[in-house]
Amino acid sequence: MAAFTVSSPSPAPLSLPKFSKFATSSHASALSLYSVSNSAFLFSSETLRYRPLPKNRRHSAVVFALKKLSETELVVVSFESEGLVPSDSGVYAIYDGNGDLQYVGITRNLSASILAHKKSVPELCSSVKVGVVEEPDKDALTEAWKTWLQEHIAATGKIPPGNESGNTTWVKKAPSKKSDLRLTPGRHVQLTVPLEDLIDRLVKENKVVAFIKGSRSAPMCGFSQRVVAILESQGVDYESVDVLDEEYNNGLRETLKKYSNWPTFPQVFLNGELVGGCDILTSMYEKGEVATLFKQ
Amino acid sequence: MATRTLCSRANRIQTQLQTALQATVLEVEDVSYQHAGHAAVRAMEGGVANETHFNVKIVSPKFEGLNLVRRHRMVYELLSGELQSGLHALSITAKTPAEAANCAT
Repeated sequence: MAAFTVSSPSPAPLSLPKFSKFATSSHASALSLYSVSNSAFLFSSETLRYRPLPKNRRHSAVVFALKKLSETELVVVSFESEGLVPSDSGVYAIYDGNGDLQYVGITRNLSASILAHKKSVPELCSSVKVGVVEEPDKDALTEAWKTWLQEHIAATGKIPPGNESGNTTWVKKAPSKKSDLRLTPGRHVQLTVPLEDLIDRLVKENKVVAFIKGSRSAPMCGFSQRVVAILESQGVDYESVDVLDEEYNNGLRETLKKYSNWPTFPQVFLNGELVGGCDILTSMYEKGEVATLFKQ
Repeated sequence: MATRTLCSRANRIQTQLQTALQATVLEVEDVSYQHAGHAAVRAMEGGVANETHFNVKIVSPKFEGLNLVRRHRMVYELLSGELQSGLHALSITAKTPAEAANCAT
């Protein structure tokens, strides 16, 4: 029996456990498992390691309870067929319109995962087989997943395309964050216009501008972080400027304080006007005003 | 001659705001210790978080008719001396007496 290790990094809110380096005796290629990224059914946060099964392990009973892939009924996936797939935890195998197995995954909510896949890659989700796993701890789910994959590979000699290492078709990617705006091309470049003019232009050319300490992906101050969190949570499209960046925004801190007549950071501008700092944004957020004001 | 301020910053803030705003409620809280790891604080002498971050809660009739930005600006202007001498951040709650009565504290 081939030995294999399965490991996963600890997931961030939108990232997933990844299992790699599944090598069978007939295949040297690596396999990957991606479960659907969704905070509603986030997979375990600990590193998973495959341990050899002791004879009395509970989940060997689970694996025996799981039907073989070939003996499991194929269900057509459609948005109307929600009732046909349970919301339990388990393993699933997705087939495309040609009846080819595309992907084997595990989840804590079969129905939700499969519907999500259907929305994301409808052309690959024609029908599905599901195997509910009783007592679904991460080991049991992984075992079920391996069992079905092994069965498929043994029968066809192929790894499902979606499970190949590096394949991200079935993974919901976290949206990449915008980068921060820079006021100048660099300290070494002589400015031809005063900094105030650059600020003025920036806040008037961009609908929402947040002057924060640090970058939007790594704010350096609790107040700035809160403002970023509020804007992001409301889905506001905004530009961010790092006032601590001495290379590209040299002198911004002092100049901006005079420009806005406001002594602290962060500062949020809408349509060229100062809305306020963290307190004001927080107060607006609590009143539910942020979305309406910033997303008109 | 030792230039020891007789008044702490909290006291000075309290006095300035009370007189100018005729506040019915005025609470000034020094929360500098909560920001002790802050870069600006570390740069200060001894790296001790000293009178750099404050929370102020003000209820004053003078805020009537002013939006939040203007209320906060009013407070900042009253404290401009402090802001230039080491006051780093101010968390402001500025309400009119009517608003304060509406909210349960």
